[in-house]
Amino acid sequence: MVTIIDYSIAIVGAFLAMCMFSTLYGKSSPLYALAEESYIGFGTGLTIVINAEYIWRTGIVNIMKGDYILILALILGAMILFRIHPEYNYVARIPIAIALGAQFGLSLRTIIFSGFTQQIIATIVPLFEGDAVTLLYRWTVALSVIFMMTFFFYSIELKGPLAASAKLGEYFLYTAFGAIFAQTFMGRLGLFVGFMQSFTIPPWKKPILVASMIIVFALVVIMDRTGIIEKYTPSE
Amino acid sequence: MSESKLMKTLATYDRRWVYLTLFIVVTIPLLRPIGMPISVSPDTKQYYDVISSVKEGDHVLFTLNTEFSGYNEIQSGVIASMRIFIEHGCKICVAVGHPEATGIPELIFNQLKKELVENGYEYGRDYVILGYVMPNEASVAAMAQNFHGAITQDWLGRPIDDTFLAEINTWEDWDLIADFTTGLATSYLMNHFALRGTPMTVNCIGVMIASQKPYVDTGVYKAILQSMRGGAELEYLTGHPGPGLTAMDAFTFGHYMLILFIIAGNIGYYGYTKKQMGGE
Amino acid sequence: MAEILKNRELQLIAMALAFLLVFIPYFVESPALDAASTKLITITAIVNAVTLILALNSQIRRGLNIIRMRRRGWYFKAYMIATMILMVVFAFFGRETGPYHWVMYAVINPLSSVNYGILAFYMASTAARAFRARNTQAMLLLATGFIVLLYQAPLTGAYAPWLEPIALYFGDTFGMAAGRMFLISVTVGAIVFGVRVLLGKEPTVLGIGREKVDE
Repeated sequence: MVTIIDYSIAIVGAFLAMCMFSTLYGKSSPLYALAEESYIGFGTGLTIVINAEYIWRTGIVNIMKGDYILILALILGAMILFRIHPEYNYVARIPIAIALGAQFGLSLRTIIFSGFTQQIIATIVPLFEGDAVTLLYRWTVALSVIFMMTFFFYSIELKGPLAASAKLGEYFLYTAFGAIFAQTFMGRLGLFVGFMQSFTIPPWKKPILVASMIIVFALVVIMDRTGIIEKYTPSE
Repeated sequence: MSESKLMKTLATYDRRWVYLTLFIVVTIPLLRPIGMPISVSPDTKQYYDVISSVKEGDHVLFTLNTEFSGYNEIQSGVIASMRIFIEHGCKICVAVGHPEATGIPELIFNQLKKELVENGYEYGRDYVILGYVMPNEASVAAMAQNFHGAITQDWLGRPIDDTFLAEINTWEDWDLIADFTTGLATSYLMNHFALRGTPMTVNCIGVMIASQKPYVDTGVYKAILQSMRGGAELEYLTGHPGPGLTAMDAFTFGHYMLILFIIAGNIGYYGYTKKQMGGE
Repeated sequence: MAEILKNRELQLIAMALAFLLVFIPYFVESPALDAASTKLITITAIVNAVTLILALNSQIRRGLNIIRMRRRGWYFKAYMIATMILMVVFAFFGRETGPYHWVMYAVINPLSSVNYGILAFYMASTAARAFRARNTQAMLLLATGFIVLLYQAPLTGAYAPWLEPIALYFGDTFGMAAGRMFLISVTVGAIVFGVRVLLGKEPTVLGIGREKVDE
């Protein structure tokens, strides 16, 4: 059973979405500005609510349960807000330092393994064991990583075997970029197709989508022809 | 149109023709689906095998590290994976890593109402929604090291003490992390859960595939599901067609459109632009 | 008190202690250190969440500036600030139903989707206009790209199964190798940068600004 709320959500959503797409016309318009500022305004409000709730649930609720050491979090949080004060911004330095130190501790203790040692271990694999396909994969990966790396050596002169390695690395890199480009386009297309699907499933949304497309396109063309775009579009 | 005019058109057309064509080739198949066949890649088979190996009572941390836009791309994988977990009788904890994703669990469970009822799922006993609990790396690390020290309530402020989460203390108590991501807290989950031995799978958007494959290769991730295409393949494997398979028509035409435009541009380049440059 | 808070050495000591308290328990088995480390991590998580207010401040100030100067389209900035406040007010009426729920599904979700969905257009037009087979490298890029694109289109993938091993080979070897290479480089860079910050060689990161390192 489709309610009036469902219809209102679909109509407003489709209209605002098409307003956002109107930037593809080639010029910003008041409709695009409406959609953009709606997203920024409501989105920021949402972020405020969710973050405030996180601070409440993780900090204040636990403090009320007796974990008084978390009062330090609220004190440091209040100190960090002084960052915007023109005179007392030095108050924020200690909490920034503590947060940065903890953050570095968290990331450095693991990326050494996940981003460095494990990647090197996975590259140095047996190159003379396994079937033909496995060997092809292993040799390609091992040689590609080495050659591609030499391509990015900027601090020494590339000559002789190093120059040849760098040249091969360049060709391998472009081959990789072709595959990566295709995967990236698949991702971007998936984002767009997924969005369009949200307005074609269930089927009662289809006329709303088509009507919004036609109305917004017509409005943008009319605004362009009558000069409204230049008059009312925000200057950025 | 003479050949030189054609070449000039192919070399200098307005980019808005590309926009319009992409809009049309995506919209029409969605308005009038055709139903194209699909093949299943080895990565999807591996993902399916890993998530199907969960047993009844296993604790699954189902993380949505995605804005709503990313959810549109990977929703087929999200729904298909959640269906498998429900059918296997897992204890599911849903956590999100972006404020926009707080509305997504509701959408997922609305679509799987039938499965929840058929498998006798009850909120609190079998599944819990925590909401936005992963704003940064420190919060993920806190969840891994002392779960109840970091999290005491669900997304509506109800205590989690009398839910199945009472059995969770550290990363060791999770049987699987199923991450659905556009890249937010995924590396944090990897660092603080997967590297410590918690099995982890990833369903990522297309842009992230190249950067995530090295982790699958090293065994940090047990499996990867790639973008909307992977979700469609998973729907096919599970025998429950959904938004992924429906989108494959538009997907196909979108890819062909891009190839044709690149070829056309190159024909225009060699037939017009290069000659102009040579003439100058 | 001001002198204590301004002291750069104290800042570096606080940062180093926080770093060690989080770093060491990962490698050394000690329940007391573990508990202290977890507590510090929870405190950091809350502090990081509070820093959102700093980002809000710059956005609201910019908006108010535009409104005060009455620049063209200033009413859109007023609308933006009004919607921000409205969303916070709506949250008090409940999040499962009501106006908050409506705005989430009618405004934020569709616009968030378009925000990233629109990139498909830009990528398609850029690729169509920039990818030219001018030299060997470009030809390699285009050839690999076409093969993987054709495989990704489900129709071709289903009717030309011989494409699959070739496309997967390019993706799982060259593509993954490039990803691995960038990952190793970025990791080394991140480690070096982290060490430099801990040694106090990056004063701007600590909010010291234009002060010289050696003063």
